[in-house]
Amino acid sequence: MRFSVASSIALLAGVAQAASSWTFSDGTVELSPRAGGSPQVHKLSDKSQVDSVVSLGVGEKIKVSLTTKEGSTSKKPHQAFLILKEASGLEAPFPLTVKNTGKGTVEISHRDLPIQLLTSQSPLHASLVLGSFGSSSASVSPLFDLSVQLDPNVPKPTYEPALRYGKQPLIHHTFRSEPKNPPKIVSIFFALAVVATIPALFVGWLLLGANVSHIGEALSSAPISHIAFFGSIISMEGVFFLYYSSWNLFATLPAAGIVGIVAFLSGTKALGEVQRRRLAGKR
Amino acid sequence: MRSFLGVVTFLFAAVASAVSTKGNRLLVLLDDVAEKDGYAKFLGDLTARGYQIVYDTPRSEQLSLFELGERQYDHLLFLPTKVKGLGPKLTPNILIDFVNAEGNILVAQSSTHSASTSIGNFLAELDITLPAGRTGLVVDHFNYDTITASEKHDVLVLDAPEPVRDGVKSFFSPSADAVLALPNTVGHTLGAGHLLTPVLRAPSTAYSYNPKEQFDAVDADDLFAAGKQLSLVSVFQARNSARVTVLGSAEMIQDSWIEAKVSRPNGSKVTVANREFAKALTGWTFQELGVLRVNEVEHHLTGDNETNPGIYRVKTDVTYGISISEYAWDSWKPYNLPENDAIQLEFSMLSPFHRLDLSPVSVTKDATVFGTSFILPDQHGIFNFRVNYKRPFLSVVDEKHTVSVRHIAHDEWPRSFVISGAWPWISGIGATVTGFVAFCAVWVYSKPTPKAGKAKKTQ
Repeated sequence: MRFSVASSIALLAGVAQAASSWTFSDGTVELSPRAGGSPQVHKLSDKSQVDSVVSLGVGEKIKVSLTTKEGSTSKKPHQAFLILKEASGLEAPFPLTVKNTGKGTVEISHRDLPIQLLTSQSPLHASLVLGSFGSSSASVSPLFDLSVQLDPNVPKPTYEPALRYGKQPLIHHTFRSEPKNPPKIVSIFFALAVVATIPALFVGWLLLGANVSHIGEALSSAPISHIAFFGSIISMEGVFFLYYSSWNLFATLPAAGIVGIVAFLSGTKALGEVQRRRLAGKR
Repeated sequence: MRSFLGVVTFLFAAVASAVSTKGNRLLVLLDDVAEKDGYAKFLGDLTARGYQIVYDTPRSEQLSLFELGERQYDHLLFLPTKVKGLGPKLTPNILIDFVNAEGNILVAQSSTHSASTSIGNFLAELDITLPAGRTGLVVDHFNYDTITASEKHDVLVLDAPEPVRDGVKSFFSPSADAVLALPNTVGHTLGAGHLLTPVLRAPSTAYSYNPKEQFDAVDADDLFAAGKQLSLVSVFQARNSARVTVLGSAEMIQDSWIEAKVSRPNGSKVTVANREFAKALTGWTFQELGVLRVNEVEHHLTGDNETNPGIYRVKTDVTYGISISEYAWDSWKPYNLPENDAIQLEFSMLSPFHRLDLSPVSVTKDATVFGTSFILPDQHGIFNFRVNYKRPFLSVVDEKHTVSVRHIAHDEWPRSFVISGAWPWISGIGATVTGFVAFCAVWVYSKPTPKAGKAKKTQ
């Protein structure tokens, strides 16, 4: 009988507790400035978070103090964490030091913040997690937003992001620019100007009296030599043209050698004939 | 006798190739071999998948991971043991050697047993940190099982894990709304190393504490880890693709929990998916999942029949293809890329000149060919076609094929007559040749004229 009474009391207590949950009261966040000055105090409530953003400068610290309650009685929970959350989802827990009466405090300054939170661009979000064993339901209460002010005169602390396997940015090779040509019309103009020098040259020679009238005389006195010599000069140009268009050096050199020997052998005779004409005063 | 042994080993090897890519010899280490009855369903699943399980205790005399320098077992499974050290047969060094020899290790822990120093040091070597004194219990006052742990909150009820980030294959989620129960979990934290990947992280309200010392409250200085920093199941894949998995809760694979019914606060009763999760976890650890194989690499000039030539010319169009298969449970399948991931080809000399995404070109019964075409850079030298595909949960693919890239030969340039800027110079040569031949003719065959004679006289 006694046992059943005890167990029913326990059961009732359990039901009563099941309805209760972890909350806090008398919560404040106090910002103590670096050099004296009066501390700013914001009141905390488990219903809504502080409207203004608390800003934490260099050398300053914030102190969160509150009394934890299970239902309506002050009590110490097993878990009382102030959690600072960065926009990316990174969180840092700061456990409160709670006395048996439920009075708990935690102090946070720049030194306590991990570097990722310290250099965060957007304000950190602070919330309080209260929970303990048993059937009382645990709670998460948003408290306030905290913006971290760094000293603008000191270089920002940096950190190397950890290497993670994943796809890397694409690389496309930058090719050197293609060689460029001047406008075709310019090239054509200068090409024609160069070609126009040939008739100009011939006209100039004709005005000076150049002619090929002795060709009959030369051919009659040394026909083979003259044909071979002049032919070899023209075929040497032909060899050069073939080298430019299709031949390689190994085809060109023997051909040029043969043409050269012909030019040498026929040239001695042909040029001898020219010299005889000169000595005879015909040139 | 010898030939009989040969046949046996041959059969053994044949069976081994049917279950995991790395063989099927599994050594399970526990305090007392009789304890295996508690894991009957879990171990039965492994046996059904073809593993040859050997049970032993760390104290055993004949226990040895290596025999004449060769691995005796392909996989190791540590179940929680009460002994403080695992003895000279299982020192951290030997475990590291085992991993270096491409053996896989699954470490299951429980908060009711302190982890042995050997396991603690071995995990520290991999940059996995256990709580102080290798004892810890993860509790979460928000996600616990109200049926069995309404007072102590030490049975975590969590959703099946999602991939840690974009572009990572998800092997460990049995189904979208699957629920896992983790009783008596030991949490651990991971270092920044890139070979470590968390599989299951604690929810943001969970924390780890030492039930023997911190039963009252958790001090700020003594808090090991909380929230998502605390990992419950993590994996490590070495550079040789050997795998080590840490499972924070060995109880979750015991018969009493593997198919238990749990209920979250204010939730309804659900059956946990521990069995499917354990299957995926062992399948991955023992290399039945996430193993990639490169079947062949082919590169050639676009439009040319010669495959894998040793030399290319600068600025030519080249096609590259790599055929990759993925092992899934018992067979090779075509590899499918997860979303937001890409296999990338680097064409590099010292540093990459090109880094291009490869796209699936064709799919066969057991392989996917990924390929692309690109123009070789205008730089001659010795280059590599390199596919360096390292991803969490997938075995390493690093394929390097060296080719020479030569410059343009003297007779491969465009001829001068097609270059419009050369036309004045070409006509200049023509004019010179014509002038020279005409001059020769005039010089040899000219007849003196009176005009010329006069000009001479006036001079």
